[in-house]
Amino acid sequence: MGKARRGQGPGRLRAFRATPFTYATLIVVAAILTMPLVFVGSIALSSDATVNTNSFTLFPTEFHWENFTRVFGSELPMGRFLINSVIISLCSVAGQMLSSGLVGYAFARLRAPGKNTLFLIVIATMMIPTQITMIPQFILFRDLGWVNTYLPLIVPNFFSNAFNVFLVRQFVSRLPSQLDEAAMVDGLGFFGIYRRIMLPMLWPVLIAIGIFTLTHTWGDFMGPLIYLNDESKMPLSLGIQYITSTSAAGQSPSWNLVMVGSILLALPMIIVYYLGQKYLYEMDISGGSAGVK
Amino acid sequence: MATISKTASTDVPKTGTSSKRRRREALWFYLFVSPWLIGFLVFLFGPMIASLYYSMTDWDSFTDPVWVGFQNYVTLITDDPRFWKALWHTFYYAAVSVPLGLVLGLWLANLLNKQVRARKLLRTLIYLPTLVPLVATAMIFRQVLAPNGPFNDALGLLGISGPSWLLDGDWATPALIVMSAWSAGAATVLLLAAMKGIPKELYEAGEVDGASAVRQFWSITLPHLTPIIFFNLIMGMIGAFQVFAQVYILVPKGKLPAAYAGAETMVPYLFDQAFGNYHMGYASAISWLLFLVVLVFTLIAFRTARRWVFYETEVK
Repeated sequence: MGKARRGQGPGRLRAFRATPFTYATLIVVAAILTMPLVFVGSIALSSDATVNTNSFTLFPTEFHWENFTRVFGSELPMGRFLINSVIISLCSVAGQMLSSGLVGYAFARLRAPGKNTLFLIVIATMMIPTQITMIPQFILFRDLGWVNTYLPLIVPNFFSNAFNVFLVRQFVSRLPSQLDEAAMVDGLGFFGIYRRIMLPMLWPVLIAIGIFTLTHTWGDFMGPLIYLNDESKMPLSLGIQYITSTSAAGQSPSWNLVMVGSILLALPMIIVYYLGQKYLYEMDISGGSAGVK
Repeated sequence: MATISKTASTDVPKTGTSSKRRRREALWFYLFVSPWLIGFLVFLFGPMIASLYYSMTDWDSFTDPVWVGFQNYVTLITDDPRFWKALWHTFYYAAVSVPLGLVLGLWLANLLNKQVRARKLLRTLIYLPTLVPLVATAMIFRQVLAPNGPFNDALGLLGISGPSWLLDGDWATPALIVMSAWSAGAATVLLLAAMKGIPKELYEAGEVDGASAVRQFWSITLPHLTPIIFFNLIMGMIGAFQVFAQVYILVPKGKLPAAYAGAETMVPYLFDQAFGNYHMGYASAISWLLFLVVLVFTLIAFRTARRWVFYETEVK
């Protein structure tokens, strides 16, 4: 694939030249997109009196930093919510990383009758809305006695999902097959090849899968809403909604504390993205580059 | 084993391998894919069959299901205005939010693909909204779109007096669309990644021919991006048809009946029938109609794709 020649950079090409108009547009857009977050900060720092009169300002004018510690006190069980989120998310991430790598590798490399049909099914399942299986799954988990436990939210992740399988398969397909063949000559079995040769090279895509899974489970709302009733078991995503919907009639929810919760919900995602973005950009599923870096 | 290894190492397609080895390989294949296979059967295929059956029953999930045939579907289509409203809101939301997200994403990606300073910072700021979980986003926009919230303040600066978005049935769906536009940065990432893969030689050639930046965008960048645009279109559509948390949180049910009635989409309606009213059979029928709608639109997209999606001949 074509790369810009070193030293010159694509900047000399018209299509890549940044005009003042480019900068102006980008700055305005970035500002518009950042404003809601500034507003969140402003609400999170508001006093209870401001909440009651709903007189929030876009930029913070008061600084009640104690709101950030209040949510962990007796007022709200947000610490509990956070721990629940962490447990559910990390188990789900582990499940997807463990299973997707194996399945994707097999689809990319091993030959077996029926493989192509199965892979077609993998692709086809991506189109099926989760809502179709929602009710029977609920019945299944209810009959297993798993309602109001974390299990319905965690266990299905140990069976991988179509999109992740597809990602791993794409990634493995671009690794030179001589690697496996050499390993086979050296007497490694299929599992040995996977564990010793493939797994170390799969890290970028597995980490990407971990990030996707984390994003999905951390922010998931419908799953916990269906399966969890106890406030003490709710993850943060459901917890903060629960707080706003259960405030006494005629009384407005503690928006300042809810926004602290929203910040707590967003912050881990921002950190994970910041640390993990190089894997996301390296993964390059669009085709072209070799994939091994 | 020795002869097998020899064939494998001399780059000859593995036609000479023994059937024993093939069987072993097939066995390992099925062992490796068993997590997916079991998951598919237990969490997808089985439930789909069950759901198809439920959709033809009257069932509250506690007593035995009563077979009613296609009655649920007939009722939904001929005698359920709430369903038709939900369907309409879903179309409305998808038809505006998906193209809007794509155009915004494309526009931002193209700007970020230029040699701008502080590109990393700008890229992060534009991507930041995507990182905020939906629940938090909905919480935020309940405030942003409040009658005297900052969004209406900003409209006020432009001389527009904004509606009371979430309190008004007519404006509740546009409010959801405004919120969806905030996360347009999600598409930007994929598009930007794809833009970087376009050979620079093409632009150099374009330059020689005297093509302007705008012309280069339309003639070089855009055609190369059509596969990614297509991917985003499909995924965006599927996502939009399944919108749930946004509606559930942004327009809380019960508190603002008019607004909620003006924004309810298919999945919240399904959810309410299933877990609010325990009409499991009826809700299953809704889920199948939802599937049908998604399927029809995906097929239409794939049909038209032949005309506008440009695939490079893959070099292998």
